Amino acid sequence: MIVAALLRWIKHFFQPPPAAKIDLKRRGLIVGGIAGVSTALLVRSSALGEGRTFSPELIRPPGSIAEDDFLAKCMRCGECMKVCPTNAVQPALDEGGIAGLWTPVLKMRMGYCDYECTLCSQVCPTQAIQRMPLEEKQKVKIGLAFFDRNRCLPYASARTCIVCEEHCPTPKKAIWFEEVQVMTPEYKLTTVKQPHVNPELCTGCGICENKCPVADMRGVYITSVGETRHPKNQILLDSYAGYGN
Amino acid sequence: MAECSRRRFLHTCAMAGAALKLGPLALEAATAPGPALSIAHFRTSPQAPEAIAEEAQRLTQEAINGLGGMGHFINRGDVVWIKPNIGWNRRPEQAATTNPDVVAALVSMCYAAGAKRVIVSDNSCNAAPPSFAHSGIQQAAQKAGADCFILDEGRFRKTPMQGKVLQSWEVYGDVLGVNKLINVPIVKHHSLCKATLGMKNLMGVVGGERNRFHQDLSNTVVDLASFIKPTLVVMDAVRVLTANGPVGGNLADVQRKDTVAAGTDQVAVDAFGATLLGLKPQDVGYIAEANTRKLGTMAFETLKPRRIEL
Amino acid sequence: MARSKTTLPVWLRRVSQSAFLLLFLYFFLQAVYHPINQAGRGVDFFFQLDPLVLLTSWLASHKIAAGLSLSLLTLVVTLLAGRWFCGWVCPFGTLHHLISSWRSSRVKDKLTTGGYSRWQKSKYYVLFALLVACVLGLNLSGWFDPISFFYRSMATIVYPMTNDAVKSVFTWIYQTDPGVGPLKVTAVSEPAYEVLRRNFLAASQPHFYGMTLLVLFFSAVLFLNLYRARFWCRYVCPLGALLGVAGKNPLVQIKQNQEVCNDCRLCVADCQGGANPDSPGGWKPSECVYCWNCHSACPHHGIVFSVYVPGGKK
Repeated sequence: MIVAALLRWIKHFFQPPPAAKIDLKRRGLIVGGIAGVSTALLVRSSALGEGRTFSPELIRPPGSIAEDDFLAKCMRCGECMKVCPTNAVQPALDEGGIAGLWTPVLKMRMGYCDYECTLCSQVCPTQAIQRMPLEEKQKVKIGLAFFDRNRCLPYASARTCIVCEEHCPTPKKAIWFEEVQVMTPEYKLTTVKQPHVNPELCTGCGICENKCPVADMRGVYITSVGETRHPKNQILLDSYAGYGN
Repeated sequence: MAECSRRRFLHTCAMAGAALKLGPLALEAATAPGPALSIAHFRTSPQAPEAIAEEAQRLTQEAINGLGGMGHFINRGDVVWIKPNIGWNRRPEQAATTNPDVVAALVSMCYAAGAKRVIVSDNSCNAAPPSFAHSGIQQAAQKAGADCFILDEGRFRKTPMQGKVLQSWEVYGDVLGVNKLINVPIVKHHSLCKATLGMKNLMGVVGGERNRFHQDLSNTVVDLASFIKPTLVVMDAVRVLTANGPVGGNLADVQRKDTVAAGTDQVAVDAFGATLLGLKPQDVGYIAEANTRKLGTMAFETLKPRRIEL
Repeated sequence: MARSKTTLPVWLRRVSQSAFLLLFLYFFLQAVYHPINQAGRGVDFFFQLDPLVLLTSWLASHKIAAGLSLSLLTLVVTLLAGRWFCGWVCPFGTLHHLISSWRSSRVKDKLTTGGYSRWQKSKYYVLFALLVACVLGLNLSGWFDPISFFYRSMATIVYPMTNDAVKSVFTWIYQTDPGVGPLKVTAVSEPAYEVLRRNFLAASQPHFYGMTLLVLFFSAVLFLNLYRARFWCRYVCPLGALLGVAGKNPLVQIKQNQEVCNDCRLCVADCQGGANPDSPGGWKPSECVYCWNCHSACPHHGIVFSVYVPGGKK
């Protein structure tokens, strides 16, 4: 009796009465199929596809998997954006290409990636940002800092600053100084501490960029090179190959 | 009620506008009946967390008692702002933030002296909720009964300061209305000014673009200290950060000094703190500047500090 | 015009929709820092319930996200009983349902805005295109998944705006300090503000880039509910489409009493899913969201839903 009912149910599932049919048109399916295929292929052949090149502004949260896999998993849901305590995680526009629309990207002028925080990886529903213990996250690089010597005050205008180094969270500071004698606007000589980044220590957290007093275009800024998740997007010869998926 | 007088005070400020020349904060002055500086030191350096907590509390109590007791500084009905360093998202052992037990001890002493309301807060550099929690200060302060809240970004008021460099700056609104302010810094290394101590800790009661101060740190910090003039400075030197400050991170950079100093001369307390890092007071720019401006004296030994050994 | 009575199933449905919407908002607010370095518990609960998330992330990455197996429950329930998720659980659906109820209430208009349209097939094409792209490794379902869409809009638009508005009101009261003599508004507003700050408001006002595009899509989708009832759910939602496919042959089916039916079509006017409740043999189970409005609207009690195996005795 029950088996008969079950078989009847299955039969009706695959052969419903005419009115109950979803009745999709073959043309519609073909158009949908072509749309799906071509979008996927277009993204693969785009400049950022298959790791061909890397976008410097595409700084992803620490724990993010490699880009092609990231785009496969990320639901663009915004949980990471909601939870980030510094408001650093923002919806991408073109940083990750069209396919990256609304995926999470860190904008260091809005916030920075706190050294003692792993909240984004805790809330990601598909683990596009992978959960990891804090000690492990602190070894992940999401990019590197670079000084814009045209804007950084000790370089550009003989003024003291070093707010960047003050905030740098790595136990051994990733910013070191060179004491340099420079000329002031009054044509006097003074000594300033000119900051440099140590790319071995820098994790790209962005607090330096965030706190830099040159408000509009910062004297120090982060780009994605050096990010742990992409072995090819590196500067250093001895950079580590990244963690497994 | 202090609540009403605060509102009236702010209302008056708003009405008068920028034309109102506000001098230093209307904090009631306090003079210590005894020495102006008291230094409490633990002879041993216990390792167990409970023992360190107890040490911190005892040192704080003894340091204050050395000045004549909290009752000489806090009166019945006072509204007190205890201003520790809650700047960083670090745990207490990393010595980037003030020892929570020092803060808790001060809260208890203020209430015991009859304070009506004790506020514990700071304008953190890292995100505030993690900093307040991770430093242990939020929990310790709340357990001692203090009003520990995260500052509201919209409540900084542009306040005339008439400093040498700072004409006016955004000061936290509630700070303008308290009777007493107790500055509770921790002793730390700092790459620009060599040490960050009490006067620099006052940066946590202001907002705005504080990252501009560093272009003339000595003058901006002393302008701030001249404007605020805390009732008391209690310097936490149970643990000090000797390198990679003010954020630190490496436990190897933390040294136990097992000391708490308290005083009414903020320059003298800072000068003492500088010596704990092996510096001469005059080597720290803002200490020398404050001394020149006669905000206090950096020759702290001349104050004949009371030394208490436990 | 005859207003639909609210029968018990409709009340139950409203309670369920409200409860799940409130639960969604609760989990949303839980996604903040908790001491020490903890996000709140269960913040991705609705994503766990969402089978589209599981399906698309598996197809695109060839890995099953273990935490999403709760969504299999949604699929099984839908297979057996139909799209109850859409009508009783989905918080985005609840939002659309609410706004749809503000459309013109004239029955004639409602028949246009609420009746079945063959354009409702478009959501299946959307689903198909997304799945094809997933198989090739590109997962854009997040743009169209209702839970993602709603969460993203809440996080980048609604919450920042609400936070700003509430803070501004309380800050204005604090600064102007209105009152009569010693009775100040701040005596009430400050404690209230403190409660709001501790439980709902952000410690620091959030700001987001790129709000223009997000706002355009969110408000468009909400406004379209005035044009067609539950526009998103009927025409766009790929999760609705997936559940529509799964719910093609439910055990809970409509029973129409032809003897009392006078073709007034009041059931169609109130139908949320566009499922032809008036048509004998023409009811579309894959469009029905089991809102029970038809049951409530029929003045002759001619419609009811009951359990029986399709293909058996009618």
